[in-house]
Amino acid sequence: MKEETVAVGRTVKKRFWTAIAAGFLAFGAMVAVFGMNMTAVAMPLGGMGDFYVELDELQGEDFHLAPHIGETGEADEAPMVRNEIGNVDITNLHIYKDLRMPGTENWIRINITSPSVSIDGLIQDARLIDANLDFNDLAIEQSNTDEFTENWTQNAETITITDAKIVTDYLFQSVVSLEGAEISVENIDEPETMEPGV
Amino acid sequence: MENAGRFKRWRNRRPFWGATLTLLAGLMILYIPLHLYAIAFAPGSLAFVGFLFGGLVMIMGTLAYIYPQFSTVFGVVTIFLSILSIMGALGGFIVGTIAGIIGGALCVGWRMEEVTVDEGRSGGKKTKRAKRAKDDEGTVTASST
Repeated sequence: MKEETVAVGRTVKKRFWTAIAAGFLAFGAMVAVFGMNMTAVAMPLGGMGDFYVELDELQGEDFHLAPHIGETGEADEAPMVRNEIGNVDITNLHIYKDLRMPGTENWIRINITSPSVSIDGLIQDARLIDANLDFNDLAIEQSNTDEFTENWTQNAETITITDAKIVTDYLFQSVVSLEGAEISVENIDEPETMEPGV
Repeated sequence: MENAGRFKRWRNRRPFWGATLTLLAGLMILYIPLHLYAIAFAPGSLAFVGFLFGGLVMIMGTLAYIYPQFSTVFGVVTIFLSILSIMGALGGFIVGTIAGIIGGALCVGWRMEEVTVDEGRSGGKKTKRAKRAKDDEGTVTASST
C-alpha cells in the first residue's frame, strides 16, 4: 500500500453557480436600467455592410463633414462621407437592414423605428445622402495635406435635415435615447438598392 | 495523474476551461471595435472603451493560465468587464458577454486541492481528499487517473 499526495484542480459547484447567478443578475439589472428609458451608452452599429436610415426631421448642433473611405458589404474600400454631429434630435427615425435568409431565396427586413430620438456624439459614415439640408454658419475649410480625410471639412453651427434617406455603413453614438422604439421583422420580395443618381 | 500526459497535467493545475472561455469571450467582444477601429480613435469618441473591455477580458483569461492561484479574482473581474462590454462593443453581440460570465464563473469556482492516492496491490487506485473544506460538497473532480 503506497500513499502519495497529488494536487488536483476542481470546480466547486456551489461557487460556480453562485458566480453564474450573480453575473446574470447584474447583466439583467443593467439591461433593465437601460431598457426602461431605452438609453444606450457608446452604441456602435456597423460591420454588416449597407443599412438604411430614413427620418422626417433632424435638428443638429456642431456639425462636421469630412471625406472618408470605408468598407461596405460589397467593397473593402468605398468612398463615403463621415458626418459628426455633437447633439442631435430626430423625429420619426426608421433604420432598416435587408438580409437574405441563409440557404433560401427569401429576404427579410429588420426595422428599428422611434418617433423621438436624441443623440450625443453621433458619428456616421454614409455612402449616399438623399435629403433636404439646411445649414447655419456653413464653412468649408481646406488644408494642404496628404491626409485625404483632412484635405477639406464642411462645418456648420446647426444643421436641419428633412425627408432624408441615407445609405449608412457605420453609426456610433456616445449616448442615444430612443423613445417608444419598436423593433420588427418582415418578409420582403427584394432588397433595397440605392445608388447615386437613382 | 502521475501517468497522465504533460498537457493533461498542465491543464489540471490551472482553471483551463474557464481561462479558455474567457479568452474566447475577449475575442468576441473585440470583434465589433475592430470593425470600428477607424472611428475608435476619433477625438471625443467613446468607441475606444470597446477595445479596452475586450482587451482586458483577454488579459484576464491569459493571467488565469499563468497565475491559477488568483483565479477567483480574475473570474470576478471577467464577469464585471463582460457585462460592461455591452457599452462600446455590444458585448460581442451579447454572445461575448454570456461566454465571459460563464468563463468567469468557472474561474471563480476553480480551486486547487490536495488528494491522497492509495495504490492497492491490484493496481487499482482510490483517491481520498486530504482536506475537506466546508464547501466541498458536490465538486466536479478533474480526472485524476
